Amino acid sequence: MTVPTMTLRTLTPRTMTQRSGRVLLAALVASLLAAACSSKPSASSMTLYTCASANVEQAVVTAFEKAHAGAKVTVFRAPTGQLNARVAADVRSGGVQADVIWSCDPLTMHGYDSQGLLRAWSPPNASDIPSAYRTAHFTGVDLLYMVVVVHKGVSSPASWADLTKADYRGKVALPSPSFAASALGLLGYFASNPSYGIAYYKQLKANGAVQVNAPADTLTGVEQGAYNAGFTLANAAYTDQKKGSPIEVVWPRPGAVAIYAPIGVTTKKHLSPLAQKFATFVASSAGQQVMAAQGTYVTLPGLGGPPIPAGSPIASPDWPALFANYTSVLADYATVFGS
Amino acid sequence: MRRPPRTADRLAIGAAGLAMVALVVVPLIRLARIMFEDDGASLGRVMRAPGLGAAALHTLTLACVVPLLAVPLGAAMALFLRRTDVPARRLLRVVVVLPLIIPQFVLGYSWTQAYSRKGFTDSLFGVQWTALHGPLGIIAVLVVDAAPLSYLLTTAGLATRAEPALEQAARVSGAGGWTTLRTVTLPLLRPVLAAEVVLTFVATLESFAVPQVLGGPAGFSTLTTRIYADLSLASQPDSFVDAVTLAVGLVVIAAVILLPADVVLGPKLRAARTGAHPAAVASPAHHNGRAIAGALALMGYAAAAVGLPTVALLGAAVTKAIGVAPTPSNWTLNNFRAALNNSAIDAIATSLRLAAGAAFALTVLGVLVAALERRRAGRALGTLATLTFVVPGSTLAVGLLIAYGHWLGGSLALILLAYLAKFWTLAHRTMSGAVDRLPRAEWHAARASGAAPAVAARTIWLPSLAPALLGAWVIVFLSAMHEVTMSSLLYSVGNQTLAVAVLNSQELGDVGATAALSVVLTALLLVAAVPAWLAWRLMTSRRRPMRRRMPAARPALEVAGAR
Repeated sequence: MTVPTMTLRTLTPRTMTQRSGRVLLAALVASLLAAACSSKPSASSMTLYTCASANVEQAVVTAFEKAHAGAKVTVFRAPTGQLNARVAADVRSGGVQADVIWSCDPLTMHGYDSQGLLRAWSPPNASDIPSAYRTAHFTGVDLLYMVVVVHKGVSSPASWADLTKADYRGKVALPSPSFAASALGLLGYFASNPSYGIAYYKQLKANGAVQVNAPADTLTGVEQGAYNAGFTLANAAYTDQKKGSPIEVVWPRPGAVAIYAPIGVTTKKHLSPLAQKFATFVASSAGQQVMAAQGTYVTLPGLGGPPIPAGSPIASPDWPALFANYTSVLADYATVFGS
Repeated sequence: MRRPPRTADRLAIGAAGLAMVALVVVPLIRLARIMFEDDGASLGRVMRAPGLGAAALHTLTLACVVPLLAVPLGAAMALFLRRTDVPARRLLRVVVVLPLIIPQFVLGYSWTQAYSRKGFTDSLFGVQWTALHGPLGIIAVLVVDAAPLSYLLTTAGLATRAEPALEQAARVSGAGGWTTLRTVTLPLLRPVLAAEVVLTFVATLESFAVPQVLGGPAGFSTLTTRIYADLSLASQPDSFVDAVTLAVGLVVIAAVILLPADVVLGPKLRAARTGAHPAAVASPAHHNGRAIAGALALMGYAAAAVGLPTVALLGAAVTKAIGVAPTPSNWTLNNFRAALNNSAIDAIATSLRLAAGAAFALTVLGVLVAALERRRAGRALGTLATLTFVVPGSTLAVGLLIAYGHWLGGSLALILLAYLAKFWTLAHRTMSGAVDRLPRAEWHAARASGAAPAVAARTIWLPSLAPALLGAWVIVFLSAMHEVTMSSLLYSVGNQTLAVAVLNSQELGDVGATAALSVVLTALLLVAAVPAWLAWRLMTSRRRPMRRRMPAARPALEVAGAR
């Protein structure tokens, strides 16, 4: 019985407080040291910053690590706004930490490029990828197509312009370009197309079209029947249609608007030797097949992925031009639908 | 006679000061420096940007209107449920705090599922609320979200501040219920109500999810939605600097309004304890008509504010596809399977650890700053701790990354620091409504009778502070569990929080999986809330045994506020 008594005597509130204080302090110091020590990457590791969806990114990274024994990819995955904030913080505290950046849209990549964060590099098979989807500093590896989705039973528009007709009055939803990069790409395409221009958005507004946040919100609204038609992303629409949602996917004239997701190697000082290997893998046939199997459209032709109806027209915004003037395009848009 | 500060006091001041510099001053200075990177050109750019005036006006309007509605609603619920004659009182007490457990973004989303066009009520009864997408909808959801906080703080305030003897004296002297409330109870609650107004004001200033979900479709922008839009384009340095400038603008707005309020008004609101311990307000044992009507109204409010939206959310979570009827033939568990993959479960565990750690640390820091508020410099510390709360998470995280990322980047410690910086004020404001009620006479009596300071603190002060301490812990814990933006910016492999899991499914546009994850999160917090709720009940009703143990040391009629 001696031992428990001693224990009770020893653990007075005061010594308990002191002891737990010391333990806490030791834990804090240990975690700080561990964090400080873990920040140096080894030759077999690299850091990827991406906003690709989790299932696609995880499948690609797993396949790459399997193909390169001992390789370790540390991933920071976040929506574009968070990605930008992280890069901005890096730039202000010793330089970008990522070896490779895989963003969701070309405008973001043009921005990084204008800051000198991307090196001139292309994967060996770059010439197999359509030239509209690459520059000297970054290469498109997957694609989003902005299309029209209609509620089942509603007549399909043949062209984007049809949505301004009386048949669709008050029943069209479109995503906000200040919320979603894909919607900004669409806006950029229409703004630079002489047959459409910002006047197209004015006609939509006059016809009672409603702005929502993301393409996913448009899709949900059309599926639930709150809207008859909406602008949304083809891959998400096909996924939901397969589950049983009552919708039809339409590829309108003059074309479904393609938004490519580019990958680039950074100008980080001590670049990991894995950086180019990883970017090469993502653009390669092997990497692209992994992505296609996840329900993503890829840039390398002929590798499958979600459906593209035969003969569907596809259009591309002039990304460099849009990068130069998106501020004024957004300001024009804001006069129509608000910011 | 004023005693010179003791070593313990100096240590407390030093610790609070150090924490304030590390968590608030340094990150804010790093952010302010970004603002002047281009020699202040961003300031002109931001000020001239079209729509800024409207966004600022929207933000200020929301920040003024929401507290005006949420604080009276929360306080009224607390005062009503203090009556012992309310039917189903225990159930109602649980029901009114439920919105606190539901994350703001889930609440906003579930309201759209419930009340928008082709939503739950529209499909069933042909009833929809067209103003949901717009300022009225935003105000309604923010009020529902904020009212439980006021309810909790008022309940804790009643447990620590109420003076039943004064109330009974007023009633005996012929004052009606309303007069007693107006002249005795409410004046005693002033510091608590002030804390509620401040917290709701700053929480509305920095709210993003609800204005974005409900305001976006209506073209109704606020400063936080503009910051989000700027950050989306912030691979261009100008847009990033603009976002930071707007965030600093929010800090300035908060400082300009709060600093004078804290320094000048704060001390005037305090009321010293008269020595009597509060007890539940005795009411007739039978249920009178007014109590029954009130209980029914409260039930109706809870059904509309939380009940229907939760049912709509559940419907979305168990239905196999969007747009099909939520009938049993269309039910599936696939959404739950998609939501609850291994990484989501790990993320929930990480979030629980982080939130509990932040809640413990901030309860201590909250007490510290609240205790220092007796001095003028201490009150300024209180204001300072509030400033990081109004900085949107994404920008505050940038400030912390620049300041500490070199040493702590990628570690859980950095996320913990971010939570401490962001939620300090929640703990501090909750505690500040209680520390001026510490029973000093009893403390001196205990010390004079030979009790050591630690024993006196444990037996005299801790019981007085317990409801507020628990309130602060719960509020910080829940806020940290719900935190999305900072954790998704500061995480790295192996320390994903729940936020990352939620963002994964939200971004995929998978409504069913998002709904399922929201249901799981809410259920999880509900389960975690049960022990907290039991502890709360124990602490808020522990007054009578306490009174038996230690009779009042002073006559009860020392007038409130006289010291």
